[in-house]
Amino acid sequence: MSDRSVSENPGSASVRQHNGGGSGLQPRVGGTTAFRRLSLLIVAMLLATPLAGGTLTLETAAGGIAIGGAHPSFTGTLGNVNGLGLGTPSAGVSLITAGVTGGVLYTTPYVLYISGVGSNRTVTAYVSANFAHPAVLILYSCPINTTCTSFSNFSVLSTSSTAPTTIIPSPGVGNNSSSTATLGLFVANTNGGGAFTGSDHVTITFVTHRVSNGATDDTVTLALNPETVQTAVQLLMAASTGLSITAGSGTDYAMNFGNVNGLGIAPPTGLTVTSVSGGVVYATPYLLEPTFSSFTSTTCTLKTYVSTNFANSSVLAMEAASAIGGPFTAISLSSATQTVLTTGSTTSGTNFTSYLGLFVSNVNGAGAFNGADSAILTYTLTVP
Amino acid sequence: MKLRLGILLAALLMFSMQALANTQAPNASTVSPTVKISVTVQKAIQLTLSTGSMCTVSGGSGTDYQITFGTVDALGISTPTCGTVYAPTTPGVSPAVYYTDYKLTPAFSGQTTTAGGTVTAYVSSNFTNPTVLAVVQSNTAPASISSLTAMSTAPATPTSVGTTVVSGTAITRYVGVQVSVQNSAAPFTGGDSAVVTYTLTAP
Repeated sequence: MSDRSVSENPGSASVRQHNGGGSGLQPRVGGTTAFRRLSLLIVAMLLATPLAGGTLTLETAAGGIAIGGAHPSFTGTLGNVNGLGLGTPSAGVSLITAGVTGGVLYTTPYVLYISGVGSNRTVTAYVSANFAHPAVLILYSCPINTTCTSFSNFSVLSTSSTAPTTIIPSPGVGNNSSSTATLGLFVANTNGGGAFTGSDHVTITFVTHRVSNGATDDTVTLALNPETVQTAVQLLMAASTGLSITAGSGTDYAMNFGNVNGLGIAPPTGLTVTSVSGGVVYATPYLLEPTFSSFTSTTCTLKTYVSTNFANSSVLAMEAASAIGGPFTAISLSSATQTVLTTGSTTSGTNFTSYLGLFVSNVNGAGAFNGADSAILTYTLTVP
Repeated sequence: MKLRLGILLAALLMFSMQALANTQAPNASTVSPTVKISVTVQKAIQLTLSTGSMCTVSGGSGTDYQITFGTVDALGISTPTCGTVYAPTTPGVSPAVYYTDYKLTPAFSGQTTTAGGTVTAYVSSNFTNPTVLAVVQSNTAPASISSLTAMSTAPATPTSVGTTVVSGTAITRYVGVQVSVQNSAAPFTGGDSAVVTYTLTAP
């Protein structure tokens, strides 16, 4: 912040006098009338000058969205948003997910530039025209001189002009000062009847106040338009009580069944062996973690298929079950007719426990195979 | 140079992000992550003993299995706890034999041939009173006491218990204890045991 001193005392008629230099302000003998007129003119100019009220300008901050428009009506947008915070936020927009319940918080810094004032000003703000979908989109604010990377430092921006939110608190800031605050846009991850996708907009009104007497100086608005809410889907996998699941190379995840054999002897830790016709099935539980946002449906469908089969498919096969002991069914090899794991009952944020089986044939002779092999399963989360 | 390096790093970062992008998507209703399933198949072999129609074959302590014949005597007078008894050919001179049937189930997987495997056995730890007690066996239902012959005590020359055994197919065999006549100043009475080691060899 910078502060350049500006004379401000509209209630007083006194004027600082300059000594010497032949200034027009210097009374001269015999020029009393002219001096009085000049003094009155100066006082009148001071009373009329905008320096008394000051001007609040909203400006683009480094790392923030572009602030457009002109005093007193400014504009901006955080662009496309979603309730899971997926995808890359628009330029100048950051994302906070930690500590945020029921959605995410998109944030952007902005600059409040105050000019033409002779004493400090505070600034408050409130939502003067709220979103049409206030349950999905909620504005938050983080005041100046605050680390605005934590959700705990944000508060809901007031929707009341009589109880606005403080943006620049006392003791305020002085003339020609640039102060950076941060706006937050909470996007709920609602599904079902309250879900919303599409464009919405909001207007924030900022008001400057003299610290000395609380008088209102300047009022400006910032319209965030459009804010576009999009759907979002995410499907994660995680280990349950069985095999560990790691990040894949060339795939999203990887599971290693380790050393197996057609007799089910000495199964690796985390695997359960079930004897079946022609061999055994090594089985493990695992978790599918679907999350989705802004859908009218509250449930999803989870499917899978073998997108790349084992090279030795007569010995090895992937199977699925709803219990660790089976019964096991072969997982489809076709993307068009995938094996349905669950449909119509799993909701967003609810882990679905499934069981993955690896059939190992006990064949001997020409069809026997010993060695390493791998397959790739592709899972599909679909929200209707 | 720094600019080029920055562009390269940015490109690599974008590529790595795209590689992991299958798990999530905005403005979509479907997402399709992938998982690689890795496995190493090994060949395997297994030999299981189980109860036939007579004595119980149970889990052992210090061994894999155990069979208990209970009280026996050289005249075959004692009623077998399980199994059956062949009285001596010449009581008081030739031995009696207490025996039982049992099942051997070979299994093997990932072997390069389907030809039958072999099963052998030998007494790896003999009775402490070998002049009185001996392990005998037969690969077929014994027709007489002479059908049960002594099991080898040499690991190098074990007794053949089965040839061309088929994976997954149980075979019935017979094992027993021969109790010899003993009359001396310090005859042996009391408990004793022996350990038999079986070997399945896949083709």
